[in-house]
Amino acid sequence: MVAPPDNDVLWARALHFSHNGSPALTGVSLGVREGEILAVTGPRGAGKTTLLQCLSGQLLPDKGGEVWFNSTPVHTMGPLVRERLRRDRFGWIDPEPALVPELNVWENTALPLMLRGTARREAKTAAHEWLDRLDVGRLARKRPHALSMAERQRVAIARALAHAPNVVFADEPTATLHRADRAHVLRTLTAAARSHAITVVLATHDSEVSALADRTVSLLDGRRVNTVHLPAAPADPDSTEGRAACSLSV
Amino acid sequence: MLALRLARGAHPLVQLRRLLVAAASAGTGFLLLCTLGYAMGHPDASASAVLRLAWCAIPLAATVYLAVSVARSDPGTKPRAGLSAVGLGPARLTLLAAVSTAVACTLGSMLALLFFLHLRGDLSGLPFDGAARRLLAADRPLPLAAALTLLTFVPVAASGASALVLRPRNVKATAARSADTAGPAPDEAQDPAPAPTGLPWGVALLAAGLAVETYASHAPGGVGFPMPGGLAGSSSGVLAGWALTAFGLALAGPGLTHLCGRALQAVRPGAVRLLAGRVLQEEARRIGRPLGVVCAVVSGAYAASVLYGAAGKAAPDLGPLSTLGAFLVVGCTVATLVTAAVEARQARRHTTSALLRLGAPATMLRGAAALRAAALLAVFGPLTWTVAELSAIPLSAR
Repeated sequence: MVAPPDNDVLWARALHFSHNGSPALTGVSLGVREGEILAVTGPRGAGKTTLLQCLSGQLLPDKGGEVWFNSTPVHTMGPLVRERLRRDRFGWIDPEPALVPELNVWENTALPLMLRGTARREAKTAAHEWLDRLDVGRLARKRPHALSMAERQRVAIARALAHAPNVVFADEPTATLHRADRAHVLRTLTAAARSHAITVVLATHDSEVSALADRTVSLLDGRRVNTVHLPAAPADPDSTEGRAACSLSV
Repeated sequence: MLALRLARGAHPLVQLRRLLVAAASAGTGFLLLCTLGYAMGHPDASASAVLRLAWCAIPLAATVYLAVSVARSDPGTKPRAGLSAVGLGPARLTLLAAVSTAVACTLGSMLALLFFLHLRGDLSGLPFDGAARRLLAADRPLPLAAALTLLTFVPVAASGASALVLRPRNVKATAARSADTAGPAPDEAQDPAPAPTGLPWGVALLAAGLAVETYASHAPGGVGFPMPGGLAGSSSGVLAGWALTAFGLALAGPGLTHLCGRALQAVRPGAVRLLAGRVLQEEARRIGRPLGVVCAVVSGAYAASVLYGAAGKAAPDLGPLSTLGAFLVVGCTVATLVTAAVEARQARRHTTSALLRLGAPATMLRGAAALRAAALLAVFGPLTWTVAELSAIPLSAR
């Protein structure tokens, strides 16, 4: 077992993972530096979500893969310790804002703080601060069903940031948003992370998003690649490859 | 065929619930057939036979209630991603639920018929062969049409009721949602359930029922509606009062559950109390109704046991059929409550997994569930006891 470099907040080596036999990650190694915004790009099915789940300790890598957080091994922790690590150190943003529908907006935002045992008053103050920072402070008393998708996603971002985590994992946070909302949400996320020196691991299949990041890691079919070469469209417009097989007039 | 195919591959717990429905249907079918046997054996006592048939309505209602609740919680009848696209839309799913309910109930009815024939001595080669030959009028041929009519009653009622409950409603919204997200809609996008409003009506009916019971127990007059082979002295007035009380409890259940939730999350709650209380408020309709019914049944059973157990009267000789009926009613209502709890858990699956991704400890979620159960017990336990005592007082004072 090799000790990881000291300046990496997250460090992973030779991650393999397969979902019921279908491989999702085949030997991915990467390091995430303190305070940086790392974009993990790749098309659908490239293994981005699985990589984030492995890094955040939701999944354990197969075949001796290693994940280190601040020089502590995550892959050897028990489920309870990993759960506490997720609660105290990590934030998680889903593709769809998975808010608790019974709680109102500020309670949703304060939930991670309350789960850590923070007093209700402090949790409320912190939640309101973050909601104001993300321009949804006026909605603090509404329930999630009354909000639009972009507002809900901003609340989810506030929830992920409210307890001042070390690392925030954002799994395609803009997948369900329109372009204008998408840019706004991403800008607020990256600005908040930079101002509070929070490390962000951002999975996305959008190449524009990676422009906001410090560094980009590309995945393809569960492997790290330097450039994604997808098969180009057929150059010859008269190419009839596959056309006969699809024809219905035969 | 699709219903059978889906039934074969289901989860063991789902199969267990369906087996419960089959068992309840078998018990009810057997009670109905025994009524038929009595009617055949005593052709001159038709009023008494009709009375027995009327008493079968309570187990029948409990069975149908259980069947509907199992059909609602059946994962095979939920809209699933992709199934709508291949033509298995909401209407077909309703049909599927009705058919699978009918399959389970028919299985139970067939078992009841076999057992009945076996006790009559028509089928031989097993223990208890013809044990009730005289009771079930084995010397007369069984009227096939009558037996089949009685046996089809449970499957038809149960599948009809489940189709009615699960019928596709609000077609426009469902279609829009399935077109939007191609799957079950996220929980947070659905409007929250409005607060249940039945509490005042429930309390009023409860009080009226108790009053009617008290009045009827003091009124002179004989026994109007005796339970065959069981509790004597249940006059029609008392029974009407008890029915009103039960109806009131069932109506008040959701409102009381909602109030429980409100009280749980009141006054500066932490995470556990907040989640427990709000979820209870949200699930008040789903959990409260069966809880009220269980309350009514338990209070009835408790009142009966107080009345006949300790009041110095001779212990009633509850016949085997009355025992079976009581067992069916209690078992069905409790099973319905458990099924409703399972359904509520299924409905909150997405939220639970989101909370677990956040790092919420599983022990905390279990603690919230235990807190909910404790709060409900703390409210409904004393309520049941009070209602039972109040309904027993006028009867035992007589």
